[in-house]
Amino acid sequence: MSTSQLALAVLLLPAAGAILLAGRGWRLPRLFTQIVGPGVVWASFAGTLALFFSKASGDFTYWTWIKSGSLEVPFNLLVDNLSIFMCLVITGVGGLIVTYSVGYMEHEDGPSYARFFTYMDVFIFSMLLLVLAGNFVFLIVGWAMVGLSSYLLIGFWYQRRSAVLAARKAFVMNVIGDVGMILGAFVLFVTYHTVTYAGVFAQLGVYLPGQANDLVLRSHVDSPTLELAAFLLLVGAVAKSAQLPLHTWLPDAMEGPTPVSALIHAATMVTAGVYLVGRMHPIYDLASYAHGAVAIIGAATALVAATIAIVQTDIKRVLAYSTMSQIGYMFLAVGIGAYTAGFFHLLAHAFFKALLFMAAGNVIHGMHDEQDMRKFGGLFRQLPRTSWSFLIGSLALVGVIPLVGFFSKEQILGAALSKPDDTLALAVWVVGAVTALITGFYTGRMWWMAFGGKPSPERAVEHPHEARLVMLVPVLILAALSVVGGFIQMRALGIGPSAVSDFLASAVGPVRWEEGGGVVMVGLVTMVLAALLFLAAYRVYVVRSWKTWSANFPWAQRLLERKYYFDEIYDAAFVRPMDAIAGFGMRDIEEPILDGAVVGTGHAAVAGATSLSLTQSGYFRNYVLVFVGGAIVAAVLVLIRSGS
Amino acid sequence: MSSMTIGGSQLDASWFLILGAILFTIGAAGVLVRRNPLVILICIELMLNAVNLTLIVFSRQLQNIEGQLFALMSMTVAAAEAVVGLAILVDIFHVRDVEDIDELSELKG
Repeated sequence: MSTSQLALAVLLLPAAGAILLAGRGWRLPRLFTQIVGPGVVWASFAGTLALFFSKASGDFTYWTWIKSGSLEVPFNLLVDNLSIFMCLVITGVGGLIVTYSVGYMEHEDGPSYARFFTYMDVFIFSMLLLVLAGNFVFLIVGWAMVGLSSYLLIGFWYQRRSAVLAARKAFVMNVIGDVGMILGAFVLFVTYHTVTYAGVFAQLGVYLPGQANDLVLRSHVDSPTLELAAFLLLVGAVAKSAQLPLHTWLPDAMEGPTPVSALIHAATMVTAGVYLVGRMHPIYDLASYAHGAVAIIGAATALVAATIAIVQTDIKRVLAYSTMSQIGYMFLAVGIGAYTAGFFHLLAHAFFKALLFMAAGNVIHGMHDEQDMRKFGGLFRQLPRTSWSFLIGSLALVGVIPLVGFFSKEQILGAALSKPDDTLALAVWVVGAVTALITGFYTGRMWWMAFGGKPSPERAVEHPHEARLVMLVPVLILAALSVVGGFIQMRALGIGPSAVSDFLASAVGPVRWEEGGGVVMVGLVTMVLAALLFLAAYRVYVVRSWKTWSANFPWAQRLLERKYYFDEIYDAAFVRPMDAIAGFGMRDIEEPILDGAVVGTGHAAVAGATSLSLTQSGYFRNYVLVFVGGAIVAAVLVLIRSGS
Repeated sequence: MSSMTIGGSQLDASWFLILGAILFTIGAAGVLVRRNPLVILICIELMLNAVNLTLIVFSRQLQNIEGQLFALMSMTVAAAEAVVGLAILVDIFHVRDVEDIDELSELKG
């Protein structure tokens, strides 16, 4: 099988699975769904591995989709190390999560069970299309389709009003991003007259995958048009990745089933924004204002989300805000130009956040769908395997050496600190370091509240059961990956291999400066402080020997619990004015004027017919009388005329 | 102006026209005031024949054959009309006994 066929197979396998499940799945035994659902994802993973080991690359055009005048839209897949890297994450972590769903969704009835796996496979297909697309049109198609599958999966339990509302909110927010992205692609098309990445990037005068291994001298300079395109694309990235200010949908998206949260709202879809900035790096390298905005948005989101996470009580919402915060780190990294650091963190985050979500899912499953951490407590002894996995995930999130989170996060921070002659990088380093400390605290709070101490008196289930094997094994695999994953790239310590950076160098360019060089000590100090805060949470939330910080700052507590009033502000700024306008339109325009005209026409016809029907007496003599009278009048008229 | 000679005495054409007018008026009044459907049909025939008479008078007076042809045509139409009208009436009588044409007012709007 040639590389181009293999790439197409990787893309289309999940689509085939989805079609199979949608058409037949719900009529066949569950076993069919259980095999096909995860099976196609694993098959796709195997194909990606084959691409990986064959060191495949190239830009394959399969056919021309649209040809009209100067507009030519080919269907082409761009296979390079970045798209292979993303495909590995999507199908690998995706495969684990879809397998986990086999157990997690077991309580669903037949049609819903098949529906769930249909949506999951659709999502995997859309995400693969997004990362494999070689032109802006198919990027947008994939981009919109992941939004659609996210909508379908958040609203999977459509009987719940809250789930439907959350799905709608996510969809609307994502469409705002889609519009920005489409406009951005349009600006690029108008400027460069081509929709393919290769065509656009070639005109920017930067290197292309597979053509040269080094940066070609830039013949192009920054221009307002380029900045505009970059900012518009950033709108799409921000909405999809739940960054400020379009982030409010992500916490609500936790209404979806937990595997969905793990796959879409932690490991893959929300990192699409990072992928986009990385893929568009020739543009962002030139558009310095937009590039700076990426870093600033990332840093701000990291800090804001981390602070909100401190006060959340729903375990999945803590994880959701933590996801926002970690994606903020990735934005920060790609925003300052440390692309490989950002993508390494993407990989690491996919490992430990999917792990945390699935372990949390095991807990929620065991606690009969209770998600409030205050009603957990003391789970450590009762669910040892899940707890150990969760602890590993938590420590990876905090960034404790030697877990994967340490290497990825510290590489980002080290890159920011060591970037020469860049005050913005220094500023985002400060924010990032503070966020790292807050991360230690909120992660500690989550861990100790849920697993430490004694069981809460409000607990619904006295003796929860450990999850089934099919739900436990993916968690354990991810836990193992979170432990050993860091050793593939130890740049943060300034030693050893840097496999991810080397691998991605051909796609996003080599490391621009010695990231993290000479700041190993700073990274270690940050890590130790964060770990200490993790332990401090024990004294605050389990022993309760230290008063909670919020007792001293009730206003801050309230501010965080209201999530900085983003929802309220949006409600006041957009939702309610729109409601008012729509209400005005309905009450004062639609009903009286438009409806009035339509209904009035009908009424007029009825009234006219009613009055005319009075002449139809049905009596023969009346008609004859009119007839004779008419004849007489006609005769008289004729006589008058002939007489005159 | 020519006139007709009947039994030695001469009759002016206006007499025939007056007769036609009287016949027509009787017919029209009958159609308007009588209620029996059969009588109404007879009255309609009366009106038609009054017109025929008038046509023939004028034809004779003007020495123009077209008037007589027209009268023949009118008789044919009258025959057809009588057939149709009677057929409708017979059909109605199959269903019910109609003595008053006002009973047939189902098409009242």
